[in-house]
Order: sequence, then C-alpha cells, then structure tokens
Amino acid sequence: MKKSIAILAVAILVLSGMSVMASSNMIVEETIGLIPTLDPAWSYDTGSGEAIWQLYDNLIQYDGSSISEFKPMVSTNIPNEKDGTILDNGKTYIFHIRPNVYFHNGDVLTPEDVVYSLERAVIFDRAGGPSWMLAEPLLPTINGAYVDSIEQWATKLAGVKKFNDLFVDGTRTPKNEKYRQALIDTFNLLAKAFEIKGNDVIIHLPHAYPPFLYILAHGVSESSMLDKKWLSEKNGWNGKAGNWWIYHNPTREKDPLYSIENGTGPFTLDRWTKGREIVFKRFDKYWAGPAKIEYGVIKKVPEFTTRKLELLRGSADTIYVPRQYMEQVENVSGIKVIKGLPVLSVDVGVFNFNVNSKGNPYIGSGNLDGRGIPADFFSDENVRLAFNYLFPYNAFIKQVWVGQAMVPNSVIPKGLFGYNAKTPAPFTQNLVKATEYFKKAYNGQLWKKGFTMTLVYNSGNTQRQTACEMIKYYTRRINPKFHVNVVSELWASFLDDYANGKLPFFVVGWSADYPDPYDFEQPFYSSKGAYGSTLGANYVEWAKKNMDTLLVKSMKTVNQSNRAEIYNKMNILAHNHAIYMFLDQPLSMHVQRSDLKGWYYNPMRPGIDFYSLSK
Amino acid sequence: MFHLVSFIIRRLLLLPVTLLGLTFLIFFFTSFLSPYQLLSAYVQDPRQLQGGNVEKLIEKYGLKDNFMMRYGRWLGQISHGNLGWSLSLNEPVSKVIEERFPATLELTIYAIIPVIFIGIWLGVVAAVHHNDAIDQVLRVFALLGYSIPSFVLGLLILFVFYGVLGWLPPGRLDQWAQMIFFSKNFHHYTGLATIDALLNGNIPIFLDALKHLISPILTLSYLSWAGLLRITRSSMLESLGQDYIRTARAKGLSEKVVVNKHAKRNALIPATTVAGLMFIGMLGGVIITETIFNYPGIGSFAAQAAAQFDYAGVLGVAVIYGLVTVIGNLIVDISYAIIDPRVRLG
Repeated sequence: MKKSIAILAVAILVLSGMSVMASSNMIVEETIGLIPTLDPAWSYDTGSGEAIWQLYDNLIQYDGSSISEFKPMVSTNIPNEKDGTILDNGKTYIFHIRPNVYFHNGDVLTPEDVVYSLERAVIFDRAGGPSWMLAEPLLPTINGAYVDSIEQWATKLAGVKKFNDLFVDGTRTPKNEKYRQALIDTFNLLAKAFEIKGNDVIIHLPHAYPPFLYILAHGVSESSMLDKKWLSEKNGWNGKAGNWWIYHNPTREKDPLYSIENGTGPFTLDRWTKGREIVFKRFDKYWAGPAKIEYGVIKKVPEFTTRKLELLRGSADTIYVPRQYMEQVENVSGIKVIKGLPVLSVDVGVFNFNVNSKGNPYIGSGNLDGRGIPADFFSDENVRLAFNYLFPYNAFIKQVWVGQAMVPNSVIPKGLFGYNAKTPAPFTQNLVKATEYFKKAYNGQLWKKGFTMTLVYNSGNTQRQTACEMIKYYTRRINPKFHVNVVSELWASFLDDYANGKLPFFVVGWSADYPDPYDFEQPFYSSKGAYGSTLGANYVEWAKKNMDTLLVKSMKTVNQSNRAEIYNKMNILAHNHAIYMFLDQPLSMHVQRSDLKGWYYNPMRPGIDFYSLSK
Repeated sequence: MFHLVSFIIRRLLLLPVTLLGLTFLIFFFTSFLSPYQLLSAYVQDPRQLQGGNVEKLIEKYGLKDNFMMRYGRWLGQISHGNLGWSLSLNEPVSKVIEERFPATLELTIYAIIPVIFIGIWLGVVAAVHHNDAIDQVLRVFALLGYSIPSFVLGLLILFVFYGVLGWLPPGRLDQWAQMIFFSKNFHHYTGLATIDALLNGNIPIFLDALKHLISPILTLSYLSWAGLLRITRSSMLESLGQDYIRTARAKGLSEKVVVNKHAKRNALIPATTVAGLMFIGMLGGVIITETIFNYPGIGSFAAQAAAQFDYAGVLGVAVIYGLVTVIGNLIVDISYAIIDPRVRLG
C-alpha cells in the first residue's frame, strides 16, 4: 500500500514538471470577463467582442494601432473621395469585395453575404443591443431624426403605437395583410441602401453619416461578415423581406448563432466551455495567410493571485491585472508591463436636473430647508458649477486610479479625433470658487439653509464610492450645513433608481462604440441621448435649444475640421454651463510574458489579437 | 427490512414537496423586486436602456408578470425537463449542471475520504490521550482549522505548492490535458476526470487530474478535520467514561480492543451524522475553494448566478441542492441505523 502511494506521488511529481509552460503554438490569456455570445449582431460587450474579433472579418480594419487609418480586409479597397469610391457628398460608398475569401466551413464569401450580414445586423435589433449603430446610417430619418431601430419604421408605416401591436398576441404572426405589407415595406427601405454590381457592394445611405466607415471597421462586431447560406440552414434568417420579423429581437436561447460560428476570420472555434474558457484554432485557409500560432485560449480566472501565479509559472502568456495590483507584476523578471495606454472612455458625474421626487429617499424633505434638496436642485447652474469646483480631480486620479488616468476636459477622450487639449480648460479644484457659486445659488438661500442629499453608487465599485465620499467631504468642509450621505446599492437596486430618475447625482462611464466624437457627444448632450434624455425636463428643454441643432449640423458635413469645430463649440457650451462633472479618462495597461511577440495596442480592439501574436 | 423500505419510500415521496416549497420560496422572494430590479439580470450598462429599451426588455422577458405567473411558467418548463436558461452563463441550466456537478462530485468524493478517516482518527487519538501533549497539539490544530478562513488557507497552499514549488497547479486539468479531455476521441462516461481518464486508459490525464485535486482537497480537508476531530473527540471521551467501558477493562480486555471495539463504535454515531452533513454541504458547492483554485464546480456557478440575479440558475442549483440534501440525509439516517442497532427507522 505504502509502495503504491509512493509510486503515485512520484508519478504526480514527475507530471507536475511537464507541460507547465503553455506550448509555443498556443497563447493563453487569463482574464475575468465573461463571453455572453458569439453572435456578432447580439454582441455589445468586450468579452464577446474579443472572441468575435478572432473569428470574423469586417469589410475594413484599422491599420495597426491607428484609429483613423484603415487597411483593407474583406473589401480590397478603403472607400475615399479621391478615387471615386465615396460619392454624393458622403452618401454612396463602393467596396470591391475580395475574391477567394473562405468561411470556416469552406464556403466562399460573396457580395450577397456582405449585404446579408449588414441587413441582418439591422433587422436583428435585440433590445439593448448594438443594432442602432447600423440602423442610423442605413435607414431613412423620420421627421429629420435618425432612426435607431427598424421597429420605428414598421410602426410608422403600419400606423400603430408599438411594434408588438402588429402581431397576434404572443406570436410573430402579423394581425392582417396591411401590417404584413408594412413590415415588408420596412425591410425594402433598408434593402434600398444596397446594390451589388459584379464583385462590388455599393451602399447608398439615405443621408450622409460621417462615422459610417468606423462602424463598418473590424472591432464593431455587428458589422462582421456572415455566411448567408450556412446561417439560413442553421435556422437563421434567410435574407428574405417576407419573414424578417420572426428573427427580430430574439431571446438569447432562440438565437441560432450564439454559440456557433462560421466566420472568415483567422481562427475557428475549437471549443467554448461557457464561463470557463474558449479555445480558437488556426484557420489555415485564411485569406491573409495562416496565423503563427495554432491555438489561442481565453480563460476566465476570477482570482488575481491565481492569474498572477499562472503568469509567473508560464501557464498564461498574458493576464488581466487590476490597477491596485500593478506593483506586484512590475519589475518582475520575465514579465513585461506596458502602461499609460489611453482608453477611449470617460467617467462622468451626472447631475439630474429634475429628480423624480415621488417616494425618493435621496432628496430628504424635497425642499430647500436644510433637510433635503428640491427636485430641481441641479437645474441651478450655480450649484453645478460649485460641485465642479469642489471636486479634487488630481487626488481622485492619484488615489483611485493609482495615477493611471487623466482628467478629461470634455466628453471627447484624448486620442480621439475632435479632442482639443486647450479648450475648454478642465475644471480644477478651487474651493473659493465653489464657495462663491454655492453662495450665489438660490439667491443665497442655499448657503443660509444648507442641504441634505444622498449620493448612491453601485456596491463594489470603489471608484464611484470614492468619488461620492470626496464630494461628501468637501461639501461639508465648505459649509457645515451641507450634508451629503453616501450609500451603496446592489446593481439591481441602482438600476431601479436610475431608470426611475431618483438619483440626484451618480457616476457613469461611456466607452467608444466607434472612434468618432459623435458617439460621445450624442449620448451625453442630445435631448434624446442615452444620458442626455435622463437628465430631466429642464435639461431636455435646454438641449433642444442649444445642443440638438449643433449635433444635426455636425452630421451633415463630411468635412472633419468643420465637425471638430462644432463639437468644440458644444464642449465649451457644456463646460460653461457645467452640465456634467468630468472625472477621469482611464489609462490602460498590458501585462504579458516577455517572450510573447507581436502585441500592439489599439483602443478600438476588445482584448488581444491572437493573429498578430507568436512566441 | 420492511420498516427500512417504507422509511425510504416515505422520505422519497417528500422530495417533490420539499423541492416545490423551496422553489416557491425563491420565486416568492423575487416578487418583492420591481421589474427594473429584475431587469438588472439583462442589463449590465445603463447605455443599454437608451430609447425605449426599458419597456421593450421588460415586455420581452415578461418581467411585469406576477410571481405566480412566472412560477407557473417555470413549473411548465420543469415538467418538460427544462430547467430554464442561465443568464449568467448563457446556456441551459441543465447543461451547466451536467458539466459542473461531476466536477464538484469528484472533488467532494476525494475530499471526504481523508476528511472522514483522518478526522475521526485524530479525534480518537485526542480522546485516548486526553489532556496529554498530543491532545493539546491536536486541539490547537483543530482551533486553527476552525479559525483560518478558507481563502487564506487556499491562497497559502496555492502559493507554496504552485507559486514556489510549481507542483500543484490550479484548475481541473493542464491545458495539454484539456485538449485531449475535450477532444472527440475522449469518451466522457461519468464526467469525473479521474475515472474517465482511467476508463479511457489515459494514465497521464488521470495523474494530471489527481494533481489538480490535491490542493483543493488539502484545503477542504483541513477545514473539515477540525470539526470532525472535535465531535469525535468529545463523543469518544463520553464513551470512554461509560460503565460498559469500565466493565470491558475490568474483564481484562486490551486497551486497543476497548477503544476500537467498544468505545469507537458508539462514538462514531454523531461523527457519522456530521460527516454526512459535511459531504452534503460540499456537494452543494465549495465556492471559495473553487474560486481560488479556479475549479469549475457547481459552487462557483451558484455564486455567480446569485450575484447576477440569474434566477433560473439559482433555481437549478436549489433543485440540485434540495435533491442532494434529501437523499444525503436519507443515507445518513440509514447508516445511523446500521451503526447503532438501537435506532429503528419507522
């Protein structure tokens, strides 16, 4: 017995010396994120985006680290005005489709596949998904406003209030022939945007849309190229006008593409164990030549110490390192740390101009009596300016981001076209000015009576917690009658309060969907923007008068310097009126083993590009 | 024998009622949540709520329906063998359980063997050497096991045996072994990596799987030894003070026979119950140990599902845990009767 145990122990020890290092034809990345889907039309998160990046191609791609220069991909050309492949003042784009591009099952990509892929991205339109990015440029406007969901045209043409009103209850069967025709006509509006001429795909936009090429570029998952024939055989949409609504807004379990793939990308899906790891295998018939490595692996390892030890032992080639642990991997032999990589995202403090006061525990009495705040507390510009001046921006960056962030001066992050380092100048902490504005607010009544309010952050988010605690500290320091409470809420409760407009002030972030300033200006400043529309009636009214016209103007010209000028004007306006509190633009870092070659940074790429890597 | 069979049947008949009550309670608690709170399972970023998406999502997933309607829908699914869709892992709950439960079962089976044998043996040794140096040392040993948090012990073991020595890596298998384990030629008979490796005649994978089990087993064992040691020690001490032990000694029996044959058998009764409950507890998932060692078991899934309001996932785990608890308790009760003939099941 003892002998058997000894033999077993020796065997295990011998084996433990074997294969500790990931082999040279395999790159292993260990991270914390999940991959919710492999369907490009569903994907709207970094985890899925990284997987889809390896499996699928788009028409065009970014040139290395650049976010403004493109390289051909499935298209052999980058449309431009000089060679006549962008026409009609930015409304027509011509793509020459590359011949002999193979899908992973051996099918050859055709121009029909290109059109199908982009149309599917629009008709798919899952609620809360990315379809709006292609819907806005490809569908005609309604009353001068972009259409961000195909449902809007269907309901308009059918003359109904809601999309579901078109169907027999609980089904996807149109209630009558009129509605069926309206649905078909809706699709035809979309189909009108596409023309196939030989091996060319010509896209006729109903209106100019300057960021259009960015939306088509590799990195925007929903613009990935799909195999029409294969997908329709897998119970996906067959590309016909007469049934698209059946494949519209599905639940994840009914999406045929969520866990299988047939892209044209440099890797095929070897296996995907949900919540644990995904393994990609080299696709030898890749049009740009096979990858240098045979396998790419993304593993979910939630515990940092485990990831770190795997990196040090060579079982992982690159890992995700939270900023607070950066020192643990710096100056370690065999490990390379690249810091200071600008991320195209900003974190902002949001002032709610009109809080929903019904049953709202965060505004105390709801009056300006020292025991609460009025519902329109942040409609007073002096209050917003005071808050902007009291915040200790530099201390926040140092303490929360370990110096790995910068203070933004507007919604446009550094590195993006339209960023202007000089104007507007970012707010800096100035307690004298903050006091001055607090004294001006509400004709001096605020200073005299004081206020009480509660700031909420989602639990576990230490960055947001610290921002709120810092505001609490400095408001109290300015005037002891100013009482700010800070509470944490679970994500579910936070979302509940957010959706109900109950939060007077909160911190949110925004990352680039595509590298164009419109993607930042619109959500924050438009009266219909993702955040703009939630700031309350007073802001919406102000934005309609001051911001919406400028935004529309910025999208009607393809002249980039004119556009930059307009966005700068909007940023100065927002700065002068202290619409938001700009807290940080994070700087990212990359940690890998020194023998890993070929890594490059592109802020639009989710995760790593296995195709460029080797050991 | 008849009593035993009737006892088992009655307990098994209670199983669906128990599960129904358990799942009803979980649904009942979700009824206190607003549709927006339930929406958080589908929305990770407020940007997803732009436009009319809030109402669209609420309607799409039936989040405004009352909990009885949702419970009815869920029961309807269950009757078709469908445990629902896990929002946190994006696949059917039954598939998640099918993949992860064997991993936890394997870990539990391997862990419970040293827990029972060593825990009981240490308890007996401590009782026999009552108040001696050995007893004192073992008491400190037990106290440490009680006091040390599992994540500290786990990280310590990981650091020493993997970080420093490089012997015992985390995870369930090395990458090379996984490539074979998940290949089409490898048959998954039981889902237990060690057993399947043996059945496939693949000794390197068997050893690799075993190597990955050692650290989590060590962690779980040390934490569990403490409990079992204390229970066995105190019940042994109680047994050793009984009249029949004095009689046995007076009869001139050797100390070995007195301890092993007379005292230990009675002392094992509470220890068996505790060991059984430990086994059931481990089968429900050992969240921290699984997380630290990146071991893909049911515990880490349960934690993730709960954190993300993945109620289909939570319900699925609850059903499995309910099943394990009821069946586990039944086995404990039966073994109790076997160990102690005075106990009658009826």
